[in-house]
Amino acid sequence: MKLGLVIDLDVCVGCHACTVSCKQWNTSGATGPLTDLKPYDEDPQGVWFNRIRHFEVGDSPNSKTVNMPMSCMHCEQADCVDVCPTGASYKRVEDGIVLIDQDKCMGCNYCSWACPYGARELDRDTGTMKKCTLCIDRIYDENLEEIDRQPSCVITCPSNARHFGDFDDPESNVSTLVRQRGGHQLMPELGYSPTNHYLPPRIMKPMPTAEAKPGSLISSVKKWVNQSVSR
Amino acid sequence: MQRTDFHEIEISSRRFYSILVTLAGVLVAAAYAFFYMESQGHFVTGMNNQVVWGLPHVVAIFLIVTASGAANVASLGSVFNKPAYQPYGRISLVLAMSLLLGGLLVILLDLGHADRLIIAMTHFNFDSVFAWNILLYSGFFVIMGLYLWSIMDRTATAKRCYQPLAYLGFVWRFILTAGTGSIFGVLVAREYYDILMMAPLFIASSYLIGTACFSLVLLLLYKLEGRQLSEVIKSRLAISLCLCIVVVTLIELARHLLNYFIMGYTAVEVFVLRDAGAVTLMFWLGQVVIGLVLPIILLYLPSVKRSRLAIASTLIMLGGLCQLYVIIIGGQLQPLRLFPNAVTETSGNLDIAYSASLPELMLSLGGVAITLFVFTIAVKVLRLTPANS
Repeated sequence: MKLGLVIDLDVCVGCHACTVSCKQWNTSGATGPLTDLKPYDEDPQGVWFNRIRHFEVGDSPNSKTVNMPMSCMHCEQADCVDVCPTGASYKRVEDGIVLIDQDKCMGCNYCSWACPYGARELDRDTGTMKKCTLCIDRIYDENLEEIDRQPSCVITCPSNARHFGDFDDPESNVSTLVRQRGGHQLMPELGYSPTNHYLPPRIMKPMPTAEAKPGSLISSVKKWVNQSVSR
Repeated sequence: MQRTDFHEIEISSRRFYSILVTLAGVLVAAAYAFFYMESQGHFVTGMNNQVVWGLPHVVAIFLIVTASGAANVASLGSVFNKPAYQPYGRISLVLAMSLLLGGLLVILLDLGHADRLIIAMTHFNFDSVFAWNILLYSGFFVIMGLYLWSIMDRTATAKRCYQPLAYLGFVWRFILTAGTGSIFGVLVAREYYDILMMAPLFIASSYLIGTACFSLVLLLLYKLEGRQLSEVIKSRLAISLCLCIVVVTLIELARHLLNYFIMGYTAVEVFVLRDAGAVTLMFWLGQVVIGLVLPIILLYLPSVKRSRLAIASTLIMLGGLCQLYVIIIGGQLQPLRLFPNAVTETSGNLDIAYSASLPELMLSLGGVAITLFVFTIAVKVLRLTPANS
């Protein structure tokens, strides 16, 4: 199995529901707490497994805001695992999830240097590194209904932009989405082969940007009068 | 051949204990800083999710790199068979071990979980450069300790081991410094480090800073004893420093040019060399002017004779510290380039600024203090100082 996420950038509205839901579930989960510092101040800081990046593509008026949720990509060639001196970071053979053994991590921070996606964050209270677990304490919990055995962020997403599944199964929902919608990895050129994929935003029909036609004589007079009155 | 006699450093007990008490005061402050950071968490440091290695790491790596270079004089005497350096081999090795001890203690005490070092010592991940470095640092103590024994002991066994241990020590230093540089050189994810030039740069810098540190310490020891260091050794050390400055300058230049023109990492180069504020100032003023240009002028100018080696060595060490600050902090301050050509905003607060906090500064000074503390005791109780050189 190769479990991971597909995130549809076309429908993600950047509402941050996934980040909050992730924080809520995981702060009381196996890797919790996700410590906050000064959460109600002007300068709140803390550990988040999932952060949304926002950026603009194109030039106005043909521009678009892309909301890009980013968490651990559970890379196949995970450099963060290779560089960990104690072996606290590891990749599970059975499902490909990258995890950190909180009892072995000594908080050297070297793995966070090695991650090109900025997915690893040091909990400066517990002194250990933390990251997305793909809600491992949830997806295998047989006490939950089968439909609930998904990462918290996937269940929460109001626009259904997040999908969870097995990339090794060509007929799974995630494999199908990637195939049909041209899903891609983030920065594949680095060679980490991230498991998570992104579905690209749709290409918008360009908005005409030609200069407006010159106005009639009446409209020019009206414009001159309005300008004079406003003075 | 003239036989060299060695003695314990001849300073008054009052002076000796006052040095130790001063250093102990710094160590107490460093211990307080460590326990403060342990109890409050790393929130009290200036480090954050973007800048994960701060001033303590800069100082620790500075001490480690200097340690490797400080043993240079011992290698010159034994491996390269330069008799002029041989009387100073003992001091060179003890200084190297003291520096490494100081550097490792700072790194250890700045870990998120310092108590878990035992895991790093017992669970090696052999894919990790970091784990390899733990082995290299541990091995350094053993090899340098044995090397020192082979120099100090006058038995036949020790004499037989002397040359092999000298060669082993030389090779080990070479690998250790390359390994320390590779901690950064293998980081593909960070544009400022993704270049294997880091290993030769660290080797050259270690020779430069280590030799400067040794020169300064030797001059201080002689001054404490009220003796004059011979002009021959001063001149030789000055020439070594000049050569190292040229090599470091060339490698540093090659690294930046390769990064900019071949690797295509223009953004991070422009950031560090032009836009990074204090880090940029540290590069141009600290590393280039103070660390490379001024020392070579001082060492070459015939008119500036008096104390020129001491001043040049001090400047080189300051420049070396700036160099490591620029490499470690500067490289982290450049945000990850996730989306080229796009201005990105991020949910949550991801700081990309860094300023060292007081506990970090105290811990860092503690590393220097423990180095000097151990070295001072060693030169007082062991026969390390040549009597007639």
